[in-house]
Amino acid sequence: MASLQGFVDQRVLLILQDGRAIVGVMAGFDQKSNVVLSDSKERVYSVEEGVEEIPLGLYLVKGDQIVLIGELDEAADQAVDLSAIRAEPLPPIRY
Amino acid sequence: MLIFSVFKTLTDQRVTVELKNDLSITGVLKSVDQFLNIRLDNIKVLDEARHPHMMAVKNCFIRGSVVRYVQLPAENVDTQLLEDATRREAVSQAKR
Amino acid sequence: MDTSSAIQEPFDLIRLSLSERVFVKLRGDRELTGVLHAYDGHMNLILSDVEETILIVEQAEDAAENTVNMAKRKMDMLFVRGDGVILVSPPAR
Repeated sequence: MASLQGFVDQRVLLILQDGRAIVGVMAGFDQKSNVVLSDSKERVYSVEEGVEEIPLGLYLVKGDQIVLIGELDEAADQAVDLSAIRAEPLPPIRY
Repeated sequence: MLIFSVFKTLTDQRVTVELKNDLSITGVLKSVDQFLNIRLDNIKVLDEARHPHMMAVKNCFIRGSVVRYVQLPAENVDTQLLEDATRREAVSQAKR
Repeated sequence: MDTSSAIQEPFDLIRLSLSERVFVKLRGDRELTGVLHAYDGHMNLILSDVEETILIVEQAEDAAENTVNMAKRKMDMLFVRGDGVILVSPPAR
């Protein structure tokens, strides 16, 4: 059973179908992979400037919009200098 | 159920999942469910330079609906068994 | 007519192609050829010895100058999710 149970109370990275990347603490989930994220922030990537973090707060993300949920290694994430990263935003899902 | 069962036999193998947004992720298949959602451990994004977004991620959950392909280790797939199981599943589907 | 092996519905036709090489057309201007080992009612497929061809159209300012390139890739054993499959057929003879 591919369960999201192991991610509860962990910091996670959500990649959405439109290419957005959201980080936050997973507070809960359900069978449809709907997810509740607390203390969430959107990370906006660009080729010109470093990563911009936009605070969003408490969010419910619909499961059908989720591409992947990654467990963030907090130590590794702290070590990353977001202002130094240059990258294109992730492509959207095309069927 | 067939494909779900095939994936279950491949747990703990390294696979490469290609998503519909063209991201390719290789990792160890830890679990799969009836929707073909996939849990991968120890992941590596194939084009890391282009996709640094997941630098701090070691394990992930991938929603089945966004998968385009999964590259499987050929040596761990019994094609004869697969074909026989497919024929049996096709017959039971037809009887419904 | 031997009714037990008569082709009654489209999936019966695919069943005849098991362990044979098939041609698969996918969404997103992709095509595959590979040996078919498994399929299900969603058109999920498992193929081996696969060659994927992606058609890339480079748009030029003048539509008559568009170029079409193909990118090919080989893979040993592949699961293909059914929601991307447009058609499955025996390869052109």
